[in-house]
Amino acid sequence: MATNELKNQVRRLRFENGEMTQQQLADKAGVTRQTILAIESGKYAPSLPLAFRIANTFGVPLEDVFQYEKGNI
Amino acid sequence: MNRQQKIAIIVLIVSLLGLFLGITLTLMKHCIPGFPKGTVVFGGFILSLGVFLIISRILKKKKGEVISDERDKIIEKNAYLAGFGAVYLLVILVSYLPIGIAPEAKIPTKWFPCLFPIAVLCQCFAMSLATLIQYGWRDKNGDK
Repeated sequence: MATNELKNQVRRLRFENGEMTQQQLADKAGVTRQTILAIESGKYAPSLPLAFRIANTFGVPLEDVFQYEKGNI
Repeated sequence: MNRQQKIAIIVLIVSLLGLFLGITLTLMKHCIPGFPKGTVVFGGFILSLGVFLIISRILKKKKGEVISDERDKIIEKNAYLAGFGAVYLLVILVSYLPIGIAPEAKIPTKWFPCLFPIAVLCQCFAMSLATLIQYGWRDKNGDK
């Protein structure tokens, strides 16, 4: 589940959106607070639907929330 | 700590306790003449009732609360795989260990049904351990 190639701006966007708490974001995205915590700490890569729900919550495109860095081949 | 973690901890403790009690009572039954078999059944009943009561308290759901999301389902699926793997290894161990210890010995057939509760305990233990490891043993508190 953990990935070093996927970066995210969830924490920064939370604070930029009225200092939204993890619980508030979790409620809007339909997941548990633990999942949001795991996403922010890079321990869990969300599914596409969840990633889109998070991006829609912040009102930004998906690539503004999640960035994929190519690993070494 | 979420509901799955709480259930995993309870199952981990109960499976270890069940294994310990099972071994202890089996030894006592063989070593102490006239040991009441009803004690084993009564003890198992009390243990099962206790686990059922504890888990039913945990399973109470708050209105609107998300109980299980996609990450919880992935963790649960991996835990089931770990439980299956543990039982698979147990069966291999039970099959080959007697050959290594005493190849000419005879095993009474009445011992074979004991494999089922041992396999159940083994699966429960492996599943709960896998669940707790995947969640990270304890909830690392982040921002709320």
